[in-house]
Amino acid sequence: MNNLKAVLTSDYPAELLAGMVINFQISTIALALGLVLGVLFLVAGPVVPRTVNTLTGLMRAAPTFVVMFFLMNIVPQQFQVFGIDILLPPEWIVALSLAPYAIAYVVDNGRAAIEGLRAGSRSAALLFLPNLVRAFTVLVMSSGVGVAIGVNEGVAVVLREAEKYPALGDQMLVYAVGVFAFGAFFQIGFACVRLMMRFLSPPEGNRVSE
Amino acid sequence: MTRAALFLVTLCLQIWVWGIATASAETPDEALDELLSAARVQVPAACDNPEADRLIRILCSGRIRVGVRGHYPFFSTRNADQTDRVGYDTDVARAIARRLWVAPEWVHVRAATRISTLAEDGADVVIATMGHNTRRDGQARFIRPHYYRSETIVVGPGEADISTWEDISGQRICTTIGNYANSNLVSQGLRLTLFRDAGRLPKALDEQICRLVAHDDSFLASYLADPALGSRFEPKFGFDPVPWGMAVAQTGSDDLARVLQLISQIMHRDGELLELARENGIFNQFLKDQNELWQSPICATTAALADPACVLPALDATPPPTAFADQVKLIQHRMEALFGAAPALPMLSSQPAFDLFIAGIVNSIVLVIGALLATLVIALLVGLLAALPNRLTRFLTWTVVSTIQSSPVILTLVVAGAVANAIFTYSPSVALGSAIVALGLMNGCNAGQAIGEAANSLRQDGQHGRGFSLPLYREAIGRSLTQILSFLINAAKGTPIASFTGAPELLSALTDITSFAAGRVTTYSLVLVFYIAVVFCVVWACDALRKRLDPQKQENRA
Repeated sequence: MNNLKAVLTSDYPAELLAGMVINFQISTIALALGLVLGVLFLVAGPVVPRTVNTLTGLMRAAPTFVVMFFLMNIVPQQFQVFGIDILLPPEWIVALSLAPYAIAYVVDNGRAAIEGLRAGSRSAALLFLPNLVRAFTVLVMSSGVGVAIGVNEGVAVVLREAEKYPALGDQMLVYAVGVFAFGAFFQIGFACVRLMMRFLSPPEGNRVSE
Repeated sequence: MTRAALFLVTLCLQIWVWGIATASAETPDEALDELLSAARVQVPAACDNPEADRLIRILCSGRIRVGVRGHYPFFSTRNADQTDRVGYDTDVARAIARRLWVAPEWVHVRAATRISTLAEDGADVVIATMGHNTRRDGQARFIRPHYYRSETIVVGPGEADISTWEDISGQRICTTIGNYANSNLVSQGLRLTLFRDAGRLPKALDEQICRLVAHDDSFLASYLADPALGSRFEPKFGFDPVPWGMAVAQTGSDDLARVLQLISQIMHRDGELLELARENGIFNQFLKDQNELWQSPICATTAALADPACVLPALDATPPPTAFADQVKLIQHRMEALFGAAPALPMLSSQPAFDLFIAGIVNSIVLVIGALLATLVIALLVGLLAALPNRLTRFLTWTVVSTIQSSPVILTLVVAGAVANAIFTYSPSVALGSAIVALGLMNGCNAGQAIGEAANSLRQDGQHGRGFSLPLYREAIGRSLTQILSFLINAAKGTPIASFTGAPELLSALTDITSFAAGRVTTYSLVLVFYIAVVFCVVWACDALRKRLDPQKQENRA
């Protein structure tokens, strides 16, 4: 109990929250990339269906962790675009590695929304919004892989704090606080999804007509 | 005609001087004096001779062109007013120039241009933090005795009690991609956090992103000398030593190489190199040992320069080739001729890399199959508990599932690894096993929850009553089949993360390969293709399973 108090009164909770802000930033970038490129894929879909389907399939299958190491080794740290020097920090590498998942997700759910609209169901199309919140939640949880390339995000803070304690019990306490913090976000995120779903779903009686 | 005569005279003089020098000189001082005297005799007569040794050219021009690093703190940097260079390497160069009665002229070299500068005659000698290994022996002539030796050091907090591998096993350590020491770090059970740029390592320590850092001591020395960092962090222990050598061109430098060898021997014996190291504040244990060695009777004469008891060998960095390395080379040449470029294939060219590669593939397949089986077993178990009508059982199951769902994948893997390492002694197999359990738990719990929810929905449909029965359970599994298969695919996709906890799968193996071989682009492209193929196989298998188990639904869909 004393150890829990020591952990909670240390800098750890504040650092953990600061770290999680980086997780949110990474996920926001990844989701924004997913939205922009996903919409482009949706637009290009009817024109070049095979290419879009193949690319989407590849992105769905690409493991984030491997994509992250691939990008870290392939993309130069500094490069020029139209004469402008661009520095690629590791946070961006993580965001870019999450982007394939986000793109595939946007394409899959975007298609469902378009089909819903075509079928005359506005509510089915609007389900795209809670699905975006769901995707954001998943991206935040996945952005923890950044710890492997030195990004100072939430999981990195948890692991660093745990290493300060030699006893496994104390380490577990630190992990538990980390899991609680991520868990709170996760549960809030999915509560939002459920609320939005409930709000956007049509009443029982209207379902047949839609 | 005059040129030929001049060359003949020079050659005769050289042979005569060499004969005298090697026959009569016992001590390095005498040998050096005789060699330099003989060279000076040829000046200025041999100055116009293009075949003359570089030593003659140096004496003729009155300057020695020294290749040094542009900015390598404590070894070669510009002084405060940017007029000259300071550091151990440049001080060694100055000491050599003084003995030759010439002035040093600095030639800026980078890590990638050190050897090519010599080959292109851009410098007479390179003294530029260059490790001496067997691979480089074929590209330049290295001077022995070595003028310095670096090693990889583990740096950690001053208050941490760390002196051996056992003290840090299982912990996270920050290092750079392609670092020679990486495979050693992994084999000691450390989890690597990889940075692209070594310059970020001290910053990561300072900002507490990393608690432990492993890198070359010569690089970290300047950062640790800064009180802001040095007061909090210190070197804990070192490993993988690499001797540093001055180097000269392979041809036309026989006399220069001999002179530099003798000067190095004298400077070690007299403690001059040690003194220069002290003045520059660099780690100097190696130079202390060398000082004692070269003062000993066994290493006192010029014969010691060929004695393995006195001079260190080059680091053996040339791994044995595979049996089919020649065929690989041939294919690469053909590809280069056809497409203008060919991929580097270190995993097929050298035997240790090939062994790691095959082991990585096998372990990855074991990991994927293990994760799939664990997911399935845990899904069925959690699904069974979640489908029971007992509220307490369902509440406990929900608590476990919610906790596991709330943890980022990588954190769950680390926690599972920590528990496994507390129960068993760390080994790659333990890391592999704990990763299988963690991946199974994460995905199995989610799939199990889906089975529980399906059981509930079946009860609401009123087909199975309020209790629990095997037909209900079986039908719940059927109803949640899509979810179960999705989490199986997810488990396969998550397997490479296990490399972070030390599981020796393909990503981990290829990261090890890049620590001693080139070809990072090919290596990481290959691992990406491999894992995408694995996931596609799992997706295909899941689809086939779905069709087999649920033909009715498939028909309805069609």
